[in-house]
Amino acid sequence: MKRTHTISYFIIRLILLIGAFISIFPFIWMIIGTTQNPNDVVRGVLKPGNEFLSNWKKVNASYSVFTFFMNSFVIAFTTVAGGLVINGLAAFGFEKYRSRKREVFFNILLVSMILPQMAIVIPLFRQMAFFNLLNTRIAIILPSLVSVFIIFFLRQNFKMFPTEIMEAARVDGAGELSIFLRIVVPSMKATFASASIYLFLGQWNSYLWPLMTILSDAKKTLPIAMSSMMRAYTIEYGGLMILVCISTLPILVLFLTMQRQFVAGLLGSIK
Amino acid sequence: MEVKLKGQFHRYLNRIGWAYVTPALVFYGLFMVYPVFYSLVMVTQKWRGFNRQFVGLGNFVRMAQDSIFWKALSHNFIFMAIQIPLMIFLALILATWLNTEIRRFRGVFRTIFFLPCVTSLVAYSVLFRILLQTNGLFNNLLKDLHLISEPIGWLTNGFWAKITIIIALTWRWTGYNMVFFLVGMQNIDSEIYEAAEVDGASRIRQFFSITLPLLTPVILFSAVTSTNGTMQLFDEPNILTWGGGPSNETMTVALYIYNQAFVLNSDLGYAATLSYVMVIIAALLAFVQLRLLGDKER
Repeated sequence: MKRTHTISYFIIRLILLIGAFISIFPFIWMIIGTTQNPNDVVRGVLKPGNEFLSNWKKVNASYSVFTFFMNSFVIAFTTVAGGLVINGLAAFGFEKYRSRKREVFFNILLVSMILPQMAIVIPLFRQMAFFNLLNTRIAIILPSLVSVFIIFFLRQNFKMFPTEIMEAARVDGAGELSIFLRIVVPSMKATFASASIYLFLGQWNSYLWPLMTILSDAKKTLPIAMSSMMRAYTIEYGGLMILVCISTLPILVLFLTMQRQFVAGLLGSIK
Repeated sequence: MEVKLKGQFHRYLNRIGWAYVTPALVFYGLFMVYPVFYSLVMVTQKWRGFNRQFVGLGNFVRMAQDSIFWKALSHNFIFMAIQIPLMIFLALILATWLNTEIRRFRGVFRTIFFLPCVTSLVAYSVLFRILLQTNGLFNNLLKDLHLISEPIGWLTNGFWAKITIIIALTWRWTGYNMVFFLVGMQNIDSEIYEAAEVDGASRIRQFFSITLPLLTPVILFSAVTSTNGTMQLFDEPNILTWGGGPSNETMTVALYIYNQAFVLNSDLGYAATLSYVMVIIAALLAFVQLRLLGDKER
């Protein structure tokens, strides 16, 4: 009896370790890949090479890595900033200024959450063409500002904010907007951090919609740049790995430093 | 006097409420509601570039005869039917082990298993594409372990390419679902397990009689979101298996819609028709699953 227990004890730990290795291996390998020549990357050699600098120079000679990074960053950052304002106000309005009519709108929003992105991108493309916004950052940002999930998530969290505090502030003569900005927002930093991460990640990683709207090299985001590099006649594998790292490592660092907010943002939906 | 003031203040607060929700509603109307209704118009049209022509229900007739569309749809269902149960099974096992067997390093394991789902879909598709090439690392590893004698065509053989997509999806999403399950398990009152222990129920018995039933809502939630995600599968077949290749063997509905609009015919009308059908299928699937959930709850 004791013996079988120890066997399963080791087997479980072994399987968990193998699983952890499989989860983490591609990350290690992508970093090794940046230092190798294309042949070694394809063959999957695991020994680090010493070609990082030449890979970096080569990829920068034919692509503008910095531009890709900045495009991704600016678009994601703007989406977070705009999205926090728009969704934050909406969630606060729905929760703390309840009315039957607004509740109807809220329910319509919730139901429409099941609509897949693919349902709207085709007409949206035509709409952006009509507004002459194709191949602009604005075309990527505008449709992703409103997130029903974030409105829902923030509203759930605003429920916990005591309404008495708002009333006390009103008695003290505070305006409605300053109640929101000076009292509510500062006391819910963690919630807003979760929402920011969710919005940032969604935009930083988005592929389908930018692929449809971006046409020129100067406007490409990192995912679009990676996919077009894969389509090149001769693929610069070392440089490609550098791009993969640039698009992945910042998110990893963000995740490891703000893990709790990350998971809260993702789990908000099952509360 | 006071009542009147109160009424006025109420109306003022109501106006503030509208002011707060209006920007979101305007953006939503412009970039969600309007496109949804506009695509109802597009469904009846044939487009060439931006020139269009009314075809009535012609697009639906064309869809009914479009063998690649049906093939793509069948692939979505294959991925759903195999990958989602596999992933949920793995995630449940991992979550159970982390919850009951491991005390030290639980957080470390949770972090590591969660890592894959924060990477961009494009980045991990690129990585898997290189790893799974015929002369790539994965085949070399299998050969070194003497598990295979000939390299497997992970990206070039229709059957194996489907397996490749399933492997990639499982790699990316198992840890994500595991974290959901782990949180669900930790919310279960430990006294229930203690009582079962007293009654002499084995660990496995406890899992099936306590954990699984109490976790059902969480499992169904992740089944619904996974189904929705698999219905929209696009990035992986586009990059990992190269535009749904080999010869459309990993073509999915979303990728086919994209191809119709931007690669093959630039027929936005037909693409809109297909996406409408996709929405209806996704909604039906969600409805059926939620009904199942509702019945279980009762």
